[in-house]
Amino acid sequence: MRKTINSIYKKALLLCLLSGFSGCNNFLDVTPADQVSDNNAWTSTNNADMFLNDVYNSLEGYFNTNDPDENFSDNAMRGSSSGYSFATYGKASYDPSSVRDDWTPNYTKIRKCNLFIEKVSASSLSDSWKVQRIAEARFLRAYFYHILWMKYGGVPIITETLDRNTQGDEIFRARNSADETFQFLIDESTAIAADLPVKPESGRASKGAALTLKGWCELYQASPLRNPSNDKGKWAAAAATNKQVMDLNAYDLFPDFETLFFEENNNNIEVIFDKAYLGGTTLGASREGLHGAWFVGGTQRAWSAPNPTQEIVDSYFMANGLPITDPASGYNPQKPYDNRDKRFYQSIIYDGCMWLGHEMEMWLGSGSRNTLDLSSANEATNTGYYLRKGLNPKYESVSGNLMLSSAHYILFRYAEVLLSYAEAQNEAAGPDASVYEAVNKVRARSELPALKAGLSQEQMKQAIAQERRVELAFEERRWYDLLRLKIAEDKINGQFHAMKIEKANGVKKYEVILAPNGDRVFKADKNYVLPIPQGVIDKNSKIEQNPNY
Amino acid sequence: MKFSLLQLFLLYFLTGISYAETNRVHSGLKSLVTLKAKNADLKTILKDIEKQAQISFSYQKDVLTSEEKINAEFSNETVENALEKLLTPRNISYQVLKSNHLILTKKVSHTDTQGAVEQSTKVKSTDRSITGKVTDEKGEGLPGVSILIKGSQQGTLSDINGAYALQVPENNAVLVFSFVGYVTQEVSADAQAIVNVILDSDEKALEELVVVGYGTQKKTSVTAAVTSMKGSEIASVPITNLSNGLGGRMSGIIFKQGSGEPGRDASNIYIRGISTTGNSAPLLIVDDIPRAFQDLDPNSVESITVLKDAAAVAPYGVAGANGVILVTTKRGKTGAPSLSYNGYVGFQNPTVLTEYPSSYEFAQLQNAASANEGLPPMYSDDVLQKYLNGSDPDKYPNTSPWSMINRNTILTNHNLEISGGTDRLKYYGGIGYQHEAGLFGATHQNRFNVNLTMDAQVTKTTKVSLSLKGREQYNSYPSETTDRIFITITNAKPTWTQIYQNGLPGALLAGMVNSDGYRKVTTSQIFSQLSVEQEIPFIEGLKVKGNIAFDPTSTFNKNWLKPVKVYTLDTTTNQYNLALAERPKAELNQSYKRATQLTFQGSLNYNRTFGKNTIGFLALYESKANDEYTMGALRRNFGLDIDELSMGSSTQSDINNSGSSISARQMGVVYRLQYDYNGKYLFEASGRYDGSYYFAPDRRYGFFPAFSAGWRISEEDFFKNNIHWVDNLKLRASYGEVGALAGLPFQYLSTYSVYGPSYVLGGNAVQGIRERAESNPNITWERAKKTDIGLEFTLLKGLLNMEIDYFSERRGNMLTSPTAVVPAEYGIGLSQENAAEMKNQGIDLSASTGYKVSKDLYLSLGGNLTFAKNTLLKVFETSATFDNPNRRVTGRALGTQFGYQSLGYFQLDDFDDSGNLKSGIATQPWGKVRPGDIRYQDSNGDGRIDPNDMVVTGKPNIPQLIYGINPGATYKNFTVDLLFQGAARSNLGLNNYAVWAFAGGTLPVRQNLDYWTPENPNALNPRITNAPTTNNTQTSSHWMRNSRYLRLKNIMVSYSIPTVVLEKVKIQSARIFVSGQNLLTWTPMVNYDPETVVTSGLNYPQQKVISFGANIMF
Repeated sequence: MRKTINSIYKKALLLCLLSGFSGCNNFLDVTPADQVSDNNAWTSTNNADMFLNDVYNSLEGYFNTNDPDENFSDNAMRGSSSGYSFATYGKASYDPSSVRDDWTPNYTKIRKCNLFIEKVSASSLSDSWKVQRIAEARFLRAYFYHILWMKYGGVPIITETLDRNTQGDEIFRARNSADETFQFLIDESTAIAADLPVKPESGRASKGAALTLKGWCELYQASPLRNPSNDKGKWAAAAATNKQVMDLNAYDLFPDFETLFFEENNNNIEVIFDKAYLGGTTLGASREGLHGAWFVGGTQRAWSAPNPTQEIVDSYFMANGLPITDPASGYNPQKPYDNRDKRFYQSIIYDGCMWLGHEMEMWLGSGSRNTLDLSSANEATNTGYYLRKGLNPKYESVSGNLMLSSAHYILFRYAEVLLSYAEAQNEAAGPDASVYEAVNKVRARSELPALKAGLSQEQMKQAIAQERRVELAFEERRWYDLLRLKIAEDKINGQFHAMKIEKANGVKKYEVILAPNGDRVFKADKNYVLPIPQGVIDKNSKIEQNPNY
Repeated sequence: MKFSLLQLFLLYFLTGISYAETNRVHSGLKSLVTLKAKNADLKTILKDIEKQAQISFSYQKDVLTSEEKINAEFSNETVENALEKLLTPRNISYQVLKSNHLILTKKVSHTDTQGAVEQSTKVKSTDRSITGKVTDEKGEGLPGVSILIKGSQQGTLSDINGAYALQVPENNAVLVFSFVGYVTQEVSADAQAIVNVILDSDEKALEELVVVGYGTQKKTSVTAAVTSMKGSEIASVPITNLSNGLGGRMSGIIFKQGSGEPGRDASNIYIRGISTTGNSAPLLIVDDIPRAFQDLDPNSVESITVLKDAAAVAPYGVAGANGVILVTTKRGKTGAPSLSYNGYVGFQNPTVLTEYPSSYEFAQLQNAASANEGLPPMYSDDVLQKYLNGSDPDKYPNTSPWSMINRNTILTNHNLEISGGTDRLKYYGGIGYQHEAGLFGATHQNRFNVNLTMDAQVTKTTKVSLSLKGREQYNSYPSETTDRIFITITNAKPTWTQIYQNGLPGALLAGMVNSDGYRKVTTSQIFSQLSVEQEIPFIEGLKVKGNIAFDPTSTFNKNWLKPVKVYTLDTTTNQYNLALAERPKAELNQSYKRATQLTFQGSLNYNRTFGKNTIGFLALYESKANDEYTMGALRRNFGLDIDELSMGSSTQSDINNSGSSISARQMGVVYRLQYDYNGKYLFEASGRYDGSYYFAPDRRYGFFPAFSAGWRISEEDFFKNNIHWVDNLKLRASYGEVGALAGLPFQYLSTYSVYGPSYVLGGNAVQGIRERAESNPNITWERAKKTDIGLEFTLLKGLLNMEIDYFSERRGNMLTSPTAVVPAEYGIGLSQENAAEMKNQGIDLSASTGYKVSKDLYLSLGGNLTFAKNTLLKVFETSATFDNPNRRVTGRALGTQFGYQSLGYFQLDDFDDSGNLKSGIATQPWGKVRPGDIRYQDSNGDGRIDPNDMVVTGKPNIPQLIYGINPGATYKNFTVDLLFQGAARSNLGLNNYAVWAFAGGTLPVRQNLDYWTPENPNALNPRITNAPTTNNTQTSSHWMRNSRYLRLKNIMVSYSIPTVVLEKVKIQSARIFVSGQNLLTWTPMVNYDPETVVTSGLNYPQQKVISFGANIMF
């Protein structure tokens, strides 16, 4: 009995040892569950699509942050004196070693496009699928290049995936000129427009998107910054391309300016290209929590990231269609918010307006936390205003980056095409009927009367500029308009304004003052393009720095 | 019958044994009995033996007539021996009828045998009487000690107080004192009439054995650098996480306890500092198996050993480079069952709370800031006055965020354990409960630990050990994260009402703290282990052992996020309006993780002495498989506030599910060869051939050898004969290579990672794939070359014990960015390479001394120190820093802090009349500077401040020096033990909320009241502004703090209740104690605990604890 037990133990032990050892060969082979190999990534359209999904995801929803680029412009500023827009961009204190790197991330995205194009081209996937997807990838690539082009000027144009093992020193490329980069953008968007459908699945690039990108680049190229000799041909090209978009007859203005941006109206008739969001997931949008009024009804609701400036408020027309600077407009500086353009009420939260069922109070001594923050001490408004445009009251109850909203962020919309067309056409050919028609169409939606007939080319230019500023305010267009029109040195240098309201004997007294911490600097000799980050130059000595940095 | 439950438990074990015994043993006389009798009569004792040994006695009435009360104690005595001791002195003999039936009879002769136990026997006239007391090291009487006259059967047992009396022959007798658990001692009685004896506990003898990798070694023959401590040292210390008990108590440990939050307060431990840019955590082993020890019940820990040098860690191959912490848990000990209770109740308070200004000070500061910027004051004099006099607390309150925290929070720990056994079977069982509350309402931790072990000598050559450790832990936190709450604290202005007089929350902090949402974590963990050890009978000294451990851990997270209720007071209607912050409706987020680890070890162990040569050999195979899966589910927008997943919204966008799995594999073969010549010359070679799933198949395996030698100089004749004041002197040295896993698994694979959701197409979320960094198929281990030289000595008969080690390590193959540069336009990260190198060297030492001043007073002093300084030898560095000797990272310690050197403030004199800086002063690029702004040093003298002017402003945050000083005193029944623990050579660069006034619109700290003005030119802080200026918030020496400290880590005062008292309540021993943890801290750090690692001040502070407890052995 005892012997048996003993020998059983021994056998068991031996078995244990042996079984342990015999497993050696493949015991350490573990396949990661969250990865796919190069072999099966490109063998089905489904897998290959996943790669492009990731590229779409890398489109920036610029406005979905707590310091949107709009704060760089004269439309808005940060309400608390912190953040990149205030400390660095606003003071033009950036230099090659401190500037935010917008270069490297875009090249990361460009590599993805290049890789997709190469792998899909070489694959045996169906041709019809390949044609459309490659065109989409080229569109996205052009989109990323156009951002680099606007920010930095000419950049190295790389259209293949770099490989240090096969290319050696070839991977170091010099910058192409700004004009070469422009030409690349035009060639690409022209080439792919034919391959892209007019109405693809929502979220994907369309023919209209490619043409709008082209039209915008042409407008930028035709504007004073890049067209100092005012070559009319450049304006004409821009007008023609924007006209092409209009002639697709695929788009129209969405009737309601206020809800145009809400998730209920995602993908509406006016949208040409957007970045898609899905609330309640990591892909949700948080504009309401980030950008809304700080306190509503005594509770903190949002972080009030952009405070609209007095400058943008003054740009809104009167309801009669006249700018407030026009003596005939009927503007009363002591009743500044009466009888204004509908878009003013849809875009701005001001003292005395109702918001989420509460009266908003910014006047001094109101006891409200929203009282004009003269000392720039917190997130209360520094200008007397909060943002309203595009903020869905449905999500305005909670603060912060909670990603609840599914509202897509519109990158191109039809109103801009109309205004770009009008601007380019007016420059190329003067204020003809098509110019009036395009501008008035935009004004009509907001119930503004048509522009007075017989405007001079210059008057029309001014009218279009103001229309564009108001219509596209807080859509991250203003900064690039300031650059391309070469007016940043006038508009950004100095101090923004705020509305100070005090009550005397129950009557509010309005006074425009300098906005606390609203001082801005723009150096005309260099700030029209950004410095290339020093890290980029350190890694590639062929990259030349922009002038004066 | 004191403990019927206990006895049932015992019976269960014992009957088990005796059944097994009867099968194999032919005579009941060989059965083992364990009993302890006090003032019992013989009959009762025999009955007990009958029961235990499954035998029966028969006797005639007159055999057991004596009324004498007997004190007797046997542990694992054979029946034969027990009867010998009990019956022989009483002139009773026995006969065995069957194997389990005995007949007792009276002996005929009364004079042939000398009695022992009591004085009832006749005394020879030549004998003399000796009396005395047997005590333990602490001076407590030891009952039941067997005292025999050497070479005879005569003897006695000590009584309950340890006293004994014995008749010895006139000639010089030698007395043998023996007692289970103590070292047997022989004392020659000479002519004394009183012989008092102090028995050394056998634990001390056990201590001579040191736990090393996959085995134990005699302390004297260890050639590696190891340090160990007993679990009992910290069993009663009020700490919740075992990792917090090592610092200052063991040499070689650098540590930092960054937080005092229940369940998140573990220390980061670095053995001999940090030697790598990669993962620097040591390997943790519990009972031979890689496992986390931090949440074990401190009472269940037998010993903790730290393996420090290559020789010590070589058996762990790829996992050992950062050192190893071995925890050995308690197992049953031979002896009568002993039941003991250890517990305490304590109260915790933060070691430090950030001081914030009062509402009056705050308002004044705000006004001063506005005035500085030419802005109108925010608060009128009238309002200031109201803040100052508190006349209208509803409208003009003065609140502190700390009014929202709990104080004197409870920390309590209770443990009950039982241990005992015979030579054939030993058992140990323990159950522990711990509860700790936290600063915020919902914060607490409950932990239950269960430990069961059994060791069975199944046959003469086979030993089977089983152990099972269970942990059930409940952690609860507020629904908002701790960081979020601390940010809200920094935002809680003293001018805001947190709680209205009617109890409603008036601000976000109060709303968050009072919310009934929660974040709960339930952890269930089992460490199960079975090992079988077989001696091979035909080769003496050879053993085969198999060890299997299966450790499943489940973690369940439930996060119930509710809208945070905040009420606003409408002053016109005096109504309180409810507002919901954070989210409009409740949200539930649940996740479940199950992780398992299966470890198998098979080993051959050979150990034999041939004359003066001792040879040891170990070969071991180990494989380890870890598997883990997680599932998560989320629902938003709960209509009803019922925290069940299925009660949430069923809208697709309100639902989210997730799941993932991870696997890991490791295996290796270990060897160790030892040779010991006459206990004088010691040699050891050990190593491991190891493999891991991390790397490509042809890079998976690595070989890590180590060698060490020791020379016990004190054993040499020339030394022994000449130097008597040195008891022990050993010199040892080791060198070897060990490994560490580098980077992340699968960096060798060229694959795309899948993730989701990636984008929204057609309104639906879709998945995405993306390239990872370029793969590197060559990626492999970090390798560490470790050298150690150590000296151990004991002087003056143990008065001074000291061990000192010099160590040096060169870590190579660390992962770093390749020096090959690709342009930013390359668009993808390059794979890392095994190229970085680092050096780490230092010393660690420990010393102890003890001195018995008088019979009642014993003083002791222990101390240890660890100094480790590392240097980066080769790391990836851009030319911007490498070419500037001030900024070069290479050649400096890892984590060295760089920034601008502050020269103090610009003063009025530095500006000309138009307010511009005078020429000759370097310009600073962050906006116009004014008097009171921080002035930085122009290190390169080019007239402008830019990053090229940066210099070293601080040492790494992890201290380079840690020390502990441990004085103790015992006076009669009182014992005081102190532990002072300190750290030095570390800096913390503070920023944001921690030091900058109004950073991000938040509450300044009270220190910000000391700001620059022309009248206060050397203030603590720059001129006050409504928001910190870009100039003043540059990383600079101005905000650098020295985080050295010395703290009274622990003080314990205990009192052992005299046995006289305990006897009455039938308790063997009892000790009551008061303990204080972190009671005093001396540090230059202000507002934050010096151990914090958070630079922005969002730190859950460490706790100081005062506790009261008792340790009772029944």
